[in-house]
Amino acid sequence: MSEVEVRDLTVEYQTSVGWLPAVAGASLDLRAGQITGLVGESGSGKSTLALSLLNAVPAPGRIAGGTIEVAGVGDLTRLGGKQLRKARGGAIGYVFQASQNSLNPLKTIGRQLLDLGRSHEVGDLRALIARAKDLANRMGLDGDRVLDSYQHELSGGMRQRVGIVFALVLNAKVLILDEPTTALDMLSQASVLDIVRKVHDENQLSTLIITHDIGAISEIADRLAVMYGGRIVEDGPLLDVLRRPTHPYTKALIGATARITGDVDGARALPGRPPDLTTVARAGCVFRDRCPFAVEVCAQTEPELETFESGRRRACHVEPSTVLTGPVLTGTTGTPAAVGEPA
Amino acid sequence: MTAFARRLAGKLAAGLVMVWVVVTFTFFLVHALPGKPGDVQYEQYIQSGMNAEQAAAKVKAIYGYTSHDSMLSQYGGYLGKLLHGDLGQSISYSGVPVSRLIWAALPWTVIPVLSGLLVSFLIGVTAGVVAAVRRSSRWGGLLTVSGSLFAGVPAFVLALLLLVVFHTEWNLLPDAGTSDIQYDPGWNLPYIGSVVQHAVLPVCAYALLSYGGWLLAMKSSVVSVLGDDFILASELRGIAPVTRARYIGRNAILPLFTVLALSFGVMFAGSFFIEDTFDYPGLGDLLLKSIGTRDYPVMAGAFLLITVSIIIANILADLCYTLIDPRVRR
Repeated sequence: MSEVEVRDLTVEYQTSVGWLPAVAGASLDLRAGQITGLVGESGSGKSTLALSLLNAVPAPGRIAGGTIEVAGVGDLTRLGGKQLRKARGGAIGYVFQASQNSLNPLKTIGRQLLDLGRSHEVGDLRALIARAKDLANRMGLDGDRVLDSYQHELSGGMRQRVGIVFALVLNAKVLILDEPTTALDMLSQASVLDIVRKVHDENQLSTLIITHDIGAISEIADRLAVMYGGRIVEDGPLLDVLRRPTHPYTKALIGATARITGDVDGARALPGRPPDLTTVARAGCVFRDRCPFAVEVCAQTEPELETFESGRRRACHVEPSTVLTGPVLTGTTGTPAAVGEPA
Repeated sequence: MTAFARRLAGKLAAGLVMVWVVVTFTFFLVHALPGKPGDVQYEQYIQSGMNAEQAAAKVKAIYGYTSHDSMLSQYGGYLGKLLHGDLGQSISYSGVPVSRLIWAALPWTVIPVLSGLLVSFLIGVTAGVVAAVRRSSRWGGLLTVSGSLFAGVPAFVLALLLLVVFHTEWNLLPDAGTSDIQYDPGWNLPYIGSVVQHAVLPVCAYALLSYGGWLLAMKSSVVSVLGDDFILASELRGIAPVTRARYIGRNAILPLFTVLALSFGVMFAGSFFIEDTFDYPGLGDLLLKSIGTRDYPVMAGAFLLITVSIIIANILADLCYTLIDPRVRR
């Protein structure tokens, strides 16, 4: 059963040359009890997609088409005003990057929880605080102390966990985490991911984790969706996608991941640079310029995201078997850090 | 609260040191003035027929020292008298203690300055919020322009403009003094009414002088808070709009306490021109007149008081920070 069903979602931004899509025709399901990882380079549209799940695309952006059905709430793109406000936080919890200051610096965590409760017209604020403390304790925080603290008194990892408390304290069934491990050291990364897995399992959530770190996500996700140029280009069960990537971009992305063991030269950077709003191809496949498998049809028609075997979808004109057995991109070697950086 | 008390004590100590530095500076400044004001005075007394002892005593009463003493004992004598609240005697109002002149002038500066600050704070901050929230609309742009305009116009031009428009052209408000001559000073309604009427233009001048600063400071502060992560976060958590507005307001107003302390200095600087224009007997007017008549003890006293006021304003602004911002408090 899907908690969230995204269909043909298109999000546009106004630029000097008109409205351009940052997310084009994306379809995605978030199922109860599953953690979905959404990976892609900077500018691939993954954060825009995540914000649009709350119908909160920042100006000058707008949702231009498609639907976002959330169980128990309805189509979020049609909601406005108080209904939309209550769906945010109430039905869907959003957790910010640890490096971001997602809390009011002038108020204690506890008082901000009360603000949250009052904003959502929670009758029993005492129970809300008790639940928050319980959540905090189960994530290895000292609930009493944390609720009495100001944001600047907490470390990055603690803020991250407090962010999860805020996201879940109203019993939201959908949890979205934006780059949850970015800006954390390795140990904090691991513990945050463990905690996410734990609260996810305990509360039977539908969780979406947005990241550019395919290594981190592979630790805990059940499903993987890959974005490029505003499109979801491939998705499926995590291990299956990692073992048998059928989209050239997925394959390149996995090939570019450096591993702690083994030669760093084993990681191969993608040649070229990711497109932005203005440079993304208007016709044909958005990845064709960097694709070693590109054929003639790629320049003319954009491939649809289609199910090619049970539970797996891809948007590519080339046969899956060709991609699977074909070469990893042969570009620059030994500079995995250059992924996504200007050439 | 102990942390607060410790902070307060530290601020006061630092303030006292600053006052001492200013006092010392003033002393040596008056001392370094060409013509040695004390000596000139001394010669004048001798010429008017006093004997040397009388003349020296008189000079000592005025300045707190005579130039026959060594520099150090002169300085010590000056400090000693200051500690007793004795600022010396005025030269132009012969024999009148400087402290009495200053106490008489003080309310005519402090009350209009504070009223002007309050008015411009309320209007400027509100306009700043509007200018920030509506910054892409025409009204927001106009407000910002008005802020830059008033922040840029010098005090004397503002004061003269007010005078021309509201007195010369429309004759709505009186042009000079603190009240009309026919009323007896005291707690009676006609006198107070007249005082208020006379205070309107100076207060407006002070308000306009600082309005632009408030507006521009608040606008940039609100714009930067609006871009903060926690504001987006509160929106994504479904926090009620009223609560979010409070979050924005409280965070945006913080930097303005610094502006408050600074604008206090600007106001006093403006008081020279504003009090001169409206012939208003405040501190600025006193200082200006004492410069004109080379009344050095009054100069030093007024200068000292203005400095102390600004230092106190800074301490107050700092304490406000401590009360509001937990990052400073703990």
